[in-house]
Amino acid sequence: MRLFNRIWSRTFSYIILLAFTAFFVVPVIWLLFAPFKTDHNLVFENPFALGTLGNLFHAAHVMFTFEDYALLNWLKNSAIYSFGGIAIALICSIPAGYGLAHTQFIGRRTLLGVTLFVMIMPATALVLPLFLEANAVHAVGTPLAVILPFSFFPFGVYLAYIFYSSSVPKDLLAAARIDGCNEWDVFRRIALPLARPIIALVTFFAFVANWNNFFLPFVMLPNSSNYPLPIGLQDLLSATPAFNPGQGGQVPIYRPELAIATIVAMAPVMIVFLFAQRSLVSGLLAGATKE
Amino acid sequence: MKSAVSREASTPLDTTDSLTPTLRRKRKKGVAGYAFVSGYFVLLILFGVLPAAYAIVLAFTASGGHFTGLTNFIKTGEDFRFLPAFENVGKYLLIWLGSLVVIVLGLALMLHSIARRVSAAFRFIFYLPGALAGAASVLVWLFMLDPTVSPWRLFLGVFGFKNLGQTILPGHLPLIFAIIAFWAGAGGWIVVTYGALNNIPNELIEAAQLDGAGAIQTALRIKLPLIKKWIVFMLILAFAAGTQLFVEPQLVGEASLGLISPTWSPNELAYYFAFQDNNFNYAAAISVDLLVIGLLCAAVLVFRTKLFEVE
Amino acid sequence: MAPVSLEKLTKVYPNGFEAVHEFDLEVADGEFMILVGPSGCGKTTAMRMVAGLEEITSGTLRINGEIMNDVSPRDRDIAMVFQNYALYPHMTVGENIGFALKMKHTPKSEIEKKVRETTEILGLTEWIDLKPGQLSGGQRQRVAMGRAIVREPKVFLMDEPLSNLDAKLRVQMRAEVARIQRRLGVATIYVTHDQVEAMTMGDRVAVMRAGLVLQCDKPQTIYDHPLNLFVAGFMGSPSMNLFEARLGEGATTLFLGTQKVELPPTVLSAKPALGRFANAEVVVGIRPESLAVAGTATGERTEDLVFFEGDVDLVEALGSEILVHFSTDAHRVEAEGMYSDDAEGLDAGSITQRGEGVARVSPETQLVIGEHVRLQVNPKRLFFFDPVTGLALNG
Repeated sequence: MRLFNRIWSRTFSYIILLAFTAFFVVPVIWLLFAPFKTDHNLVFENPFALGTLGNLFHAAHVMFTFEDYALLNWLKNSAIYSFGGIAIALICSIPAGYGLAHTQFIGRRTLLGVTLFVMIMPATALVLPLFLEANAVHAVGTPLAVILPFSFFPFGVYLAYIFYSSSVPKDLLAAARIDGCNEWDVFRRIALPLARPIIALVTFFAFVANWNNFFLPFVMLPNSSNYPLPIGLQDLLSATPAFNPGQGGQVPIYRPELAIATIVAMAPVMIVFLFAQRSLVSGLLAGATKE
Repeated sequence: MKSAVSREASTPLDTTDSLTPTLRRKRKKGVAGYAFVSGYFVLLILFGVLPAAYAIVLAFTASGGHFTGLTNFIKTGEDFRFLPAFENVGKYLLIWLGSLVVIVLGLALMLHSIARRVSAAFRFIFYLPGALAGAASVLVWLFMLDPTVSPWRLFLGVFGFKNLGQTILPGHLPLIFAIIAFWAGAGGWIVVTYGALNNIPNELIEAAQLDGAGAIQTALRIKLPLIKKWIVFMLILAFAAGTQLFVEPQLVGEASLGLISPTWSPNELAYYFAFQDNNFNYAAAISVDLLVIGLLCAAVLVFRTKLFEVE
Repeated sequence: MAPVSLEKLTKVYPNGFEAVHEFDLEVADGEFMILVGPSGCGKTTAMRMVAGLEEITSGTLRINGEIMNDVSPRDRDIAMVFQNYALYPHMTVGENIGFALKMKHTPKSEIEKKVRETTEILGLTEWIDLKPGQLSGGQRQRVAMGRAIVREPKVFLMDEPLSNLDAKLRVQMRAEVARIQRRLGVATIYVTHDQVEAMTMGDRVAVMRAGLVLQCDKPQTIYDHPLNLFVAGFMGSPSMNLFEARLGEGATTLFLGTQKVELPPTVLSAKPALGRFANAEVVVGIRPESLAVAGTATGERTEDLVFFEGDVDLVEALGSEILVHFSTDAHRVEAEGMYSDDAEGLDAGSITQRGEGVARVSPETQLVIGEHVRLQVNPKRLFFFDPVTGLALNG
């Protein structure tokens, strides 16, 4: 009886898990298959039927050449904004996390508390205030209006702080001081090399957040040539006759083309997902100290 | 050993027992700390504190710059679009948070009771759509919800939906946004919850089994209470983020042929005030409303749970 | 000139806690100096002040005659071995050992030569290209030693360097560290809470408690002539048996609980201070190895033995000896922090209500649990302490 119950509950678990697997995966698969078909195929054929490479090339050609390679321009913009923001965020947050964890100065606890607060608060809450601020200094429409707010990444500071305070013992830094390091040497030669896993982690989170950010560039960058991908996607969406039949035929963007644009938008994050998973696991510190 | 002689030779020079400073560097106190945090501090002021302060100033003044007290808050609060926007987001949050508690916890518990290898594969699959957060996820779901092309078209047909317009009727939006949020965000929370479950010592589970608890009893009476603070953490963060809804109604609105109000969510309303009405003071007032909600959530998390180490 | 001299060195933390109080100490050239005491006694703080890792509140620290109070650690010409080794996890064994030389801009070839010499001394040559994470506990400990000795510093500081090793390795490394120190002849301060290390390794030992140095002398002197209750109880394993007792008229009898023990006149003549405690409370101390079971072949036979009785609670046969746990009706005395690592009291001694004691006897002794035995001790080996101040009654 007991055994029967166990088998039954296990089977039930797997059925539920597989159902959710379908829920999570089918949209991704459909998206990957869509560019191989024509818009007509998508409507009238089995949704999981295979398409042809010819359709893919056609749709890709249409999409990439659309409005003088707008998609590539958006991709480039996305990359500049994301990585610009990450670079400054790393330069500032790693030393800050170290400073908060391992140095003493007046206001340290306050800074830590404020960091915690702004970290938990959704970044979106500051978008309009940021716009108002940028507007006041006439920075709206410039890439810096997006890059600089991106570079303020309190979560990264918190991650670095937790890493340094929990995984880098004070004695390790004391040893370096005795070995002849000044404060900057201690950071550069000991603390910074140890931070490699945390740099990967901060990069990962900042990248996902920056790349997918919609609201901030949406308000900051009114000009199509400055759009990052998510705003570009919206632009396409509003232009395509697939969702706006009124647009009829003027724009050659149909569902397969839209799917390609979506894939281009998500691919970098997907790649970073796969890439980051490995580097996060590295136990660089294992065995450094016995605790 | 090696340098005993050389040290002997050098000592006569340093034997002067004096207070005069030699070449040795004095230790500096505190300065290094400021140097390390200075970059971040500047960013915090410029892009955290200043915009918030500026929004607050704007929210309490009129366009001419003179102080108006709570006028902007009252005026925006009385606006006919204000309450519906918060109502919309409220409905969405109810569904989204409910599904987080029930489905995310349920899935995490199931994953925790099966073989680790298999569960790792499931977790990865569930987590994967997280890569399509934001605009991409909305676009994907516009396809999914369009009965003409959706792989779920049979399912949508059961409800009698014939075209996209019928699926994305305004009344359906809270549920639709919850589904999108779940699709893109639940995986991350499943991973977090699973991690929390994994931190429960195995002995505890075994002890419960020896005490006669079955799988469901163990889950409800042992595992859930032990990860309670993570559930609270998840709910508060999801709530805070959910109040800020913007991209979803914006994009779905784009595809709805004007059926969906451009001020569906509070953030959209603030945006509308700023960009359509050019009323930055009203926009700032709603931003401050949302800021206060975010701050309250943060305060609850920081002070009420012991999740964040600050020492 | 002494390589290290501490003059009234004091550490008060911002919260008002005084970790070290007016610590005076001179470490001679080549001397192996041990700071021992329970945790929280200030020994590590004292060492970290010498290293420059902890600010000195008041007092003067001199290294080779130069005042070092405000000099940064890197300019003090000291090397330190940390309890958790503090090896740089991202550097190889060789890089770890050579790091200090690199920071001094020593030419590369010379660094290589010195690192090689050091690894040879420590038997680490095979592992020179491995990272700390790939080493065993004992090997890491050696790397930490190597990092210190390659510097050829004026002073070695070692902060419980052996406490993370397992028991067997600890015994082995104990001898090795002592041997290396003798060979290098560098003044060394060594912090430990382990009284065995204190007894065996050092030239001199400073026993600390609650920020104060209670006694500083050669280990054997401290063992034979503890100045107070705490030192008496702390040094030696098993600890000295300390009982509440009362001296009779003329200090010729001792009342141990309900038992009356006759003291021969030699006791009073050797310790005239006892006279002041006639008809008064004292604390009497007996080292476990001074006790024997009367009537057994192994008991010491001299003219004036004294005897008392007890019940055997437990017999631990260790092979080379037997530990007999017995109980009497005399109250046992414990100085706080003497036996456990957690206590941090400031009073000289507090009395607990346990009448247990330990005798360390020859393995031939036949005993049964529950047996009533007569224990004998040579009165010359009795220690007496003032129950109020905790000071030894020697003079």
